[in-house]
Amino acid sequence: MTFAPDRRDALKLLAMGATAALGACGRPEEEIVPYVEMPEGVTPGVPMQFATALPLSGYARGVLVTSYEGRPTRIEGNPRHPASLGACDIFAQAELMSLYTPDRAKAVAHEGGISSWVGFETALLSQMEIEKARQGSKLTILTGRVTSPTLARQIQALLNAIPAAQWRRYEPVHDDAEISGASMAFGRPLLAMPRLDQASIIVTLDADPLGPGPYQLAYANALGKRRLARKDAAQFARLYAIESCLTLTGANSDERLSLPPHLIRAVIIDIANRLGANLTQETLPENAQRFATAVFEDLRANPAHGVVLIGRGQPAEAHALGHWINRALGAPVDYFPPVDPIASAHVDSLRGLVQDIDNGRVESLFIIGCNPAYAAPGELAVGEAIAKVPFSVYHGLDDDETAALCNWRLPLSHMLESWSDLRAVNGVASIVQPLIRPLYDTRTAHQLVALMGGTLSASPYQLVRETWQSRAPGGSDASWRQWLHDGIINGTANAPVTPPNPTLPNIGPLEAPRGLSLAFAPDPSIWDGSFANNAWLQECPKPTTKEVWGNSIHISPSDAAANHLVAGDFVTVTLGEHSLEAPVDLVQGQASGVLGVTLGYGRRRVGAIGEGLGFDAYRLMPIETSWAAQDVELSRAAAQSPILRTQRSFHLAPERKDVYPTFTLVNLLKGEIDIPESPALPSLLPGWEYESYKWAMSIDNTLCIGCNACLIACQSENNVPVVGPVEVSMGREMHWLRIDAYYDDKPTPLGFQPVPCMHCETAPCEPVCPVEASVHDSEGLNVQVYNRCIGTRFCQSNCPYKVRRFNFFGYATDEAYANLDAQSFNALFNPDVTVRSRGVMEKCTYCVQRISRTRRAAEKEKRRITEGEVVTACQSACPTRAITFGDLNSEDSKVRDLRNEPQHYEMLGHLDTRPRTTYLANVKNPNAALQGNKS
Amino acid sequence: MAQIFRPYADSVVRVVMIAILVLPFAIVGVAYGVMSSPYITGEHLTLEQPVPFSHEHHVGELGLDCRYCHSYVEKSAFAAVPPTHTCMTCHSQLFTNAELLAPVRKSFAERMPIKWTRVHRLPAYVYFDHSVHIANGVGCSTCHGHVDRMPLMQQTEPLTMAWCLSCHRNPAAHLRPPEEIYNMSWSPPDNQEQKGRNLIERYHIRVEHLSDCSVCHR
Repeated sequence: MTFAPDRRDALKLLAMGATAALGACGRPEEEIVPYVEMPEGVTPGVPMQFATALPLSGYARGVLVTSYEGRPTRIEGNPRHPASLGACDIFAQAELMSLYTPDRAKAVAHEGGISSWVGFETALLSQMEIEKARQGSKLTILTGRVTSPTLARQIQALLNAIPAAQWRRYEPVHDDAEISGASMAFGRPLLAMPRLDQASIIVTLDADPLGPGPYQLAYANALGKRRLARKDAAQFARLYAIESCLTLTGANSDERLSLPPHLIRAVIIDIANRLGANLTQETLPENAQRFATAVFEDLRANPAHGVVLIGRGQPAEAHALGHWINRALGAPVDYFPPVDPIASAHVDSLRGLVQDIDNGRVESLFIIGCNPAYAAPGELAVGEAIAKVPFSVYHGLDDDETAALCNWRLPLSHMLESWSDLRAVNGVASIVQPLIRPLYDTRTAHQLVALMGGTLSASPYQLVRETWQSRAPGGSDASWRQWLHDGIINGTANAPVTPPNPTLPNIGPLEAPRGLSLAFAPDPSIWDGSFANNAWLQECPKPTTKEVWGNSIHISPSDAAANHLVAGDFVTVTLGEHSLEAPVDLVQGQASGVLGVTLGYGRRRVGAIGEGLGFDAYRLMPIETSWAAQDVELSRAAAQSPILRTQRSFHLAPERKDVYPTFTLVNLLKGEIDIPESPALPSLLPGWEYESYKWAMSIDNTLCIGCNACLIACQSENNVPVVGPVEVSMGREMHWLRIDAYYDDKPTPLGFQPVPCMHCETAPCEPVCPVEASVHDSEGLNVQVYNRCIGTRFCQSNCPYKVRRFNFFGYATDEAYANLDAQSFNALFNPDVTVRSRGVMEKCTYCVQRISRTRRAAEKEKRRITEGEVVTACQSACPTRAITFGDLNSEDSKVRDLRNEPQHYEMLGHLDTRPRTTYLANVKNPNAALQGNKS
Repeated sequence: MAQIFRPYADSVVRVVMIAILVLPFAIVGVAYGVMSSPYITGEHLTLEQPVPFSHEHHVGELGLDCRYCHSYVEKSAFAAVPPTHTCMTCHSQLFTNAELLAPVRKSFAERMPIKWTRVHRLPAYVYFDHSVHIANGVGCSTCHGHVDRMPLMQQTEPLTMAWCLSCHRNPAAHLRPPEEIYNMSWSPPDNQEQKGRNLIERYHIRVEHLSDCSVCHR
């Protein structure tokens, strides 16, 4: 039927439309809904902070969560927690988005249909009867790494009741080689934690301490203390990186060498031999020889202050040798007994499960909080095995690949909804407290394990309290409250052990691989894939390549040239029987002969955000040497698609000193700092006077490690929307703060530079706005008035720093990408910041809401804001404290002091924009003996 | 040849010429008038409430302090409409069977909040903070009018940006000493200008900052 209204119908429709439009003129009534009973301690409109902990690969990072009337809106670091020290990584901050995502598993499902907890309880109890009768001999529990003392205690109690049952655990980003290397060297499993703040010479061999991981923040914090380029910089450490793929550590190193994994092993042997190990050794290539000599000379010149770190890509023997070297160097390393209650290797644990299933030894399988059907080496075919189990239960956050294979799918409560406890790498325990009541009908792992033991209505709170009862004097509430308040339980840190002298492992040279090698790493944005459905993290640019919404095979420019490949060309990579097709990206600094891939993409089932992005590298992951594979074949495939990036690279050679000058430590100590002048040019703008506060930011490029913590912090604090891959492909993004990466012709990046708004005193954006939406305030903030903005984008064109972002669509609301306009995401918004609509320009505000909150608090107390009282979101997240914010008019202004450092500069200072955000130039500490090293 | 224009053509031309000059101003004037009229600002409208709560009775006659119910006005951006519990502190003893109070008792018994209709409404992009105004000498009745004479709550001021700015640009005309903040019958003394200037000193108010956009919008 075609719609062909006649004249009368058309008029009727017109009248109807007009009436409807008239109706829209009146304002809809709003409601005020007060409490019935005011909760204790709550002041409406005043946020509260609660200390809790969030796991990454099972290990705790302490966080402080901001909550508005019971709604968590922001996650920051807990200064008291050893794995946070006040900073917060991208994964912890993005947990908020994981909490509110509508794709979470919400209801119990049985064989594809909706069921209920009661339904499950009935099925479980009869199944457990059967299992109890045979001592649990056909029951297996599979978890991720469990550091929760309560959960470990519960599972142990269950295993005591049914002693023949199995508890296995598998963490995709595992440390099998590290642990077995330590066992090899010391005769017992130990975790080595180098004290980087006490090291002058740090040598990473395929290791990435600054890269993503549960201890990134602590390592970055420690290294930051030793890389403080101030007037007195005698303590400045030197960082050597020898690695096959460009990692964050390599990107921040002073000297870097790209080598394939087998040659890195040779370098480790070489260093050991120079220390007297007397191992069989192959001849190193000339450049590696020179590098190893320089490293060794430096280590020898700094006795007891040099340390080597071996990465997860190296085999156990190499780790054992690393321990031997560190002992020979007298390196500052702490050794801790593992927190993980299960000693067997992760891979063995999972392989054992598959064998058990294949041999019919598993009839009841409980998978709690892990996703082995996706995140495990493809060769193990874990998924096919799980599907064979007659009674399989999956308890997880997402309705994912593993859930699809299990009979029972149970929704797991998010850590922000649960009572639990967690331990950090060094054993420090934290109580996990819920910030919000479970949004859906979910339960915690504690409840499931209690249910398996026959307790129907277990309270996780009581279970956690029981665990710690003995620690509280007289079981008092006071210490419990203290633990909740502090976010850590005092005295739970493991004392570092003094291990015996390490034995020299039996390690020799490897045969050089005939073909290409393949190196695996967790993804810098979505880790092992467990954050794949998180839009903030998907749009978080990978530090070195700036790729978003996908992954690619990293290939060195020389290998690419040899295979006639350009970035975006698809290739087929084959390893044994498995192969995958994916685009390549040319990465300066990738070792020749090595392809680099990151895990976590190619999710088949996870939700609207994460499905169908990138390729699944787990499929090629070898079982034995999980993180490296040899002799892969590469062939050109037909497809081609551009790599999605938020930043395009371009040539900047002569102008680089205006935006990113770099110096060496020698330059700094000798006073050879040559900063371009910032001339005072005539200006049409009024000469502002700043009588009260004069806000300014200083960013130390030397300290910035490019970890993106500030970027996600800004996104979370300021309600910055996600735009989605299609918009990114058109060059649009909304991040108020971006991190630029600079390269020259060497394989090591020059460094990183976070770029928020400069808040120029003579701001080029202000005079061009026809409606005065871009204005100056009396404290020097360059503010954007969203309600005046009509979207001419003149300001964006006139901004030399390109920090302004335009809402081409209603990214935050009605035209949001994928499911981001779902109701539940409304809870994610910071109520102190306007949610911008379509057609409006926005940019960094220096967290004006935080300034305002502090100012109002100070005004009520009739005092000035004190130094350090206003902390911007980016500043609070930074693990190295590279960002300083404060008042230039204050007497003890840290920002003003930093402006007097010799390497202080204004970006594009010759434009005389008089920016309030200024930088301290990157200072590197290269080894003079390696000058001219171009490997 | 007949005349092309009739005699009234002259008048038409004059009217059109004048209209061209006057109409734009008139349209803008009318628009301003409409936008600042109670029709748009919602002044002096009595909205329907689930319970016909009388400020006249509670404040004017009984003399309850504002802070008895709006207990967060000194601490938070929100003065806060009281929880049902506050109503019940008295009404579990007084007027316990009054028909008017049935919704309050129901709310208390069923633990479901009472849904009041908002009277004083600011747009979402305005971040108003009660506590800082209280701390800096702006009294309740300056913005909310003679609440003690309102049987049902009404908005008495336009709450437009121009109205906010009239005070932000010249706070001296409206400031009170701290002891007069909650006084419903306070009126400016004769020497308010001088007293206001002294109060600006006393409260450490930075007037130059009060008209920054970032004070209310962020």
